[in-house]
Amino acid sequence: MKFSKKLILIFTFLCLALILFFAIQSQKSDKLPLTVIDDSGTTVNYPLTIIDDTETAVTIPQEPQRIISTAPSNTEILFDLGLGDKVVGVTNYTNYPEEATKVEKIGEMSPLNLEKITSLKPDLILAYAGFQLKEIPRLRELGFNVLVIEPLSIKDTLKSLKMVATVCGIPEKGNTLVEDLSQRVNKIKSEVSKITISNRPNVFIGGTYETIYTPGEGTLFNELIILSGGKNIAASLPGWVKISPEFVAEAEPDIIIIPIGAMNLGEESKIKKNISQRPGWSNIPAIKTQNIFIVNEDLFYRAGPRLVDGLELLYEIFHE
Amino acid sequence: MKFSMNKSPKVIAGYTNWRKKLVLMILGGSLGILGVSLVCLNFGVIPIHPKEIFSLIWNSSLDKTNSLIIWQLRIPRITMAILAGAALSTVGGAFQGILRNPLADPYILGVSAGAALGACIGIALQYSTGYYLASYLPLFAFIGAMFSLYLVYMSSKISYTLASTGLLLAGVAINFLFSALITVLLALSKSELHSMIFWLMGDLSTANWSKITIVTIPVIVGCLFLFSSSLDLNALSLGEEEALHLGVDTGKLRIRIFFIGSVIIASIVSFTGLIGFVGLVVPHITRLLVGPDHRVMLPTSALFGAIFLILCDTFARIIIAPTEIPIGAVTAIVGAPLFIYLLQRRNV
Repeated sequence: MKFSKKLILIFTFLCLALILFFAIQSQKSDKLPLTVIDDSGTTVNYPLTIIDDTETAVTIPQEPQRIISTAPSNTEILFDLGLGDKVVGVTNYTNYPEEATKVEKIGEMSPLNLEKITSLKPDLILAYAGFQLKEIPRLRELGFNVLVIEPLSIKDTLKSLKMVATVCGIPEKGNTLVEDLSQRVNKIKSEVSKITISNRPNVFIGGTYETIYTPGEGTLFNELIILSGGKNIAASLPGWVKISPEFVAEAEPDIIIIPIGAMNLGEESKIKKNISQRPGWSNIPAIKTQNIFIVNEDLFYRAGPRLVDGLELLYEIFHE
Repeated sequence: MKFSMNKSPKVIAGYTNWRKKLVLMILGGSLGILGVSLVCLNFGVIPIHPKEIFSLIWNSSLDKTNSLIIWQLRIPRITMAILAGAALSTVGGAFQGILRNPLADPYILGVSAGAALGACIGIALQYSTGYYLASYLPLFAFIGAMFSLYLVYMSSKISYTLASTGLLLAGVAINFLFSALITVLLALSKSELHSMIFWLMGDLSTANWSKITIVTIPVIVGCLFLFSSSLDLNALSLGEEEALHLGVDTGKLRIRIFFIGSVIIASIVSFTGLIGFVGLVVPHITRLLVGPDHRVMLPTSALFGAIFLILCDTFARIIIAPTEIPIGAVTAIVGAPLFIYLLQRRNV
């Protein structure tokens, strides 16, 4: 068989065209006609169409009775809204609240076990965009109602709470919960506004590993530090960033916060000792004064109602 | 292998009776794929009785949830495993041939890094423009792969070393360059791009019928192209100069196989992510079993690769269910001991 350059080029472009066709075709199925959403009322009229965090219109035909949550943060939202008895599947990472750990497990957050999810016959799946980009379109294709939640700020988190409440037919409960949480946030905000910039501590969010990853601009953690009246030493860096020990020594943090997994709570003294003995850090004010605090990471990483607990905890650490 | 004087070198090298061998392998391999598929269809996190599966295959309207699991999840997954396994192994074998390097695999010439960078840019665009691009990611990956292919081709053309070494080194260089660019993109981005890491991990669970339809054409057409180059590859395996004496334009052969192989891999990687080890080890296993003749070796690799990947994917989804293990880990765990066992047995 003779191969000319032309033939190979044609072959390449054929593949390109096929994949383009696939993309356009699946994109089309994402778009649905939109109906008006009213989340201020006390009742919800099904079918309800709502725009989720992937800018997709999701139509919920009736009040969901079998809900699967594919992220611990979503599980916390559902249980906080009192929807725990309707949750039929959670991931292995779910550890809060206690009742949620007894729900059937669907496996890891990524890759999602699609067969397990299908077998549980959910009528609503609360997904988390970041880890599940591949699975979300596939789940929608299989005919499931997938609502994607990916809040990037506290405000968005409260909005997601309201959205979930509306979709599940209890908008009033959502409003009450959000009202309550907003009040707590506002209380901290007004306290913090009285504190002058020079009285706000320099804060470093550390870890237990040799390599230091710290939350910078755009992360939930950074927002919590700012709101609770602290100055994040990495505030000008983008996202979760790797920083050098020198950077930390230079920034002279007044307070060091070490978020750890709930399972590792109880090793405080060891972690504090390790941090204090890092070479070159002996002059850091936080280490001299032993202002090192070990906190439960779930309060800061999970975009759920417990973020406000985290906020209050930080305020307490910084100013009391 | 014992050397005996009354056999011709051709017999010893395994170049005789290739038609008979090929027919035998194709028959055996196809039956093997069918059998393994039917058996693996019965395994899953949800126990479904084989009898029910059998009746669901013929009549999918019996039980809605179970037919969804069989027809939309298990069968597409197995089909995608067949396509990906066949493609990766064939291309791996062909690349080992043109580069004359036993360590070559389908990703060595930069396609994977290009696809990864393309998808990475797609995800970055999604977050910066706010436009949901998830279904366009395969397109970004494919374009990225084609871009890396072009770069590797151009840089190998200007290299001063042996042609095969030039291609190999250019591929390795582009691989490193693109991986570094991804790392930099990750470092510069806010947390969003970390989803990239998950996108890249090889995974067959999201296979669906439209993806399969699209992948089938490049895989079948491309692999047939590669099979038809078997004789030239045989000549090249004697050495660069020997092949030239036999009238094979080695430069053209190399570029042709590099391009076609890369396009096949690009279309697979765009939909399944990176599945390692299959493309490296299956051609070697096949070579140990049927000999080095590419006319037999390449099609047999395709069939073995398909069987191997179906088995690995089945392990991945049932071993610690409901948790799924990344399939790349399973291919290595199953493949490496098997490979070492065969190596010592055949004493090659």
